[in-house]
Amino acid sequence: MALPSSSLDGRRLRSERTRQTIMEAYIELLRERPEIPTAAQIAARAGFSTRSIFERFVDLQGLSLATVDHAFAMGEAQAVARNVDGDRATRLQSHVETRAHTCERWLPVWRVVVANQGKLEDLRARIRFIRQAIVKRMELMYRPELEVLSAEERRDLLIALESLIDFESWGRMREGHGLSFEEACSVWVRMIDRMLPPTPPARP
Amino acid sequence: MSTTTASRPARIDGRRLRSERTKQLIIEAYLALLRENPVTPMPTAARIAERAGYSVRSIFERFPDLNKLRAAAADYQLAQAAALAPPRNIDGDRHTRIKSQVETRAGTCDRGVALWRVLIFSIDQDEDLKPRVRTARERTIERMEIMYRPELSTLSERDRKHMLIALEAITDMESWARMRELYGLSFEEACGVWVRAIDRMLPPTPSV
Repeated sequence: MALPSSSLDGRRLRSERTRQTIMEAYIELLRERPEIPTAAQIAARAGFSTRSIFERFVDLQGLSLATVDHAFAMGEAQAVARNVDGDRATRLQSHVETRAHTCERWLPVWRVVVANQGKLEDLRARIRFIRQAIVKRMELMYRPELEVLSAEERRDLLIALESLIDFESWGRMREGHGLSFEEACSVWVRMIDRMLPPTPPARP
Repeated sequence: MSTTTASRPARIDGRRLRSERTKQLIIEAYLALLRENPVTPMPTAARIAERAGYSVRSIFERFPDLNKLRAAAADYQLAQAAALAPPRNIDGDRHTRIKSQVETRAGTCDRGVALWRVLIFSIDQDEDLKPRVRTARERTIERMEIMYRPELSTLSERDRKHMLIALEAITDMESWARMRELYGLSFEEACGVWVRAIDRMLPPTPSV
């Protein structure tokens, strides 16, 4: 009686692994070329048949959305919030470096997602969700400074900070202005430091 | 004889002027369609012709293909931005200069974001667009150099460069579009966000 269940689990696990391999092949192709690949290209890269893609995803749109979700989950796992209780300089450095690594890894994928958002409402919803996550991270990292502001001032500051640390802003610093990873981080650190209000004294 | 020679260049000039005007109307029709339906980055030639009130043939008499029309639209918008948004209040106090720069930039963003998105999304497929996007960004930076000269003059060359990079990021077209579309801010509210952000970012204004 135990055998069918465990073989079912094994089959599920393999199928889940195949799903993941397909999405990772998709991401790899996006990194190489900024356009949505065909199902045949994805299948060839993943080492499966085109049929096995459509056994797991309703269509290419479904695969695209699942891949964005998978990429977001990977990005979140790689960007754990650190030094949340550190002093101002430590929090700034930690937040900026984490964000910079995310931009460095995910900018090519982000570009394709943004470029195709007009075609799919679900994609637009994902972009909104990712932007909200970026804002939430800043709310967490800069809580002491943001707390001294009114709700409206806080909202306005977060909007401006989000523009500053946008994926494309990172891309322009690295590609357009030729800054090194460290130089680009330093621009963000100094600018966020200027924009944030003074840190209130720690409560006893 | 003298009458004929005199009237010929005038006739050619008139024809050129009309053709130039037609070109402009085609570009304006393309831009209007983009603003109305930003999901379609390149409307069909038939739609553009219909909106402009000309035949499809008259489009291709003036533009070899639709990519060239898109590049011409970028030039048109760059020229329009320069004409409609000259620097104002460059000798004003800090607040006046920030407000003036922000309002001018906001107007440019409001008018230009639809085409800007098309340029950004098509840049990898069309080499003609790269220098136009670069020029647009350089002009934004040049304008800020003029408007914030007193504050920027207190910084080292490296810090000035970095400050301008950050100011350009904050006042990017997409940043404007997000404030208006995603956060639902009015024109004035969105200007307020930029004014306060720039004021925080700039170093203190040196005393005269």
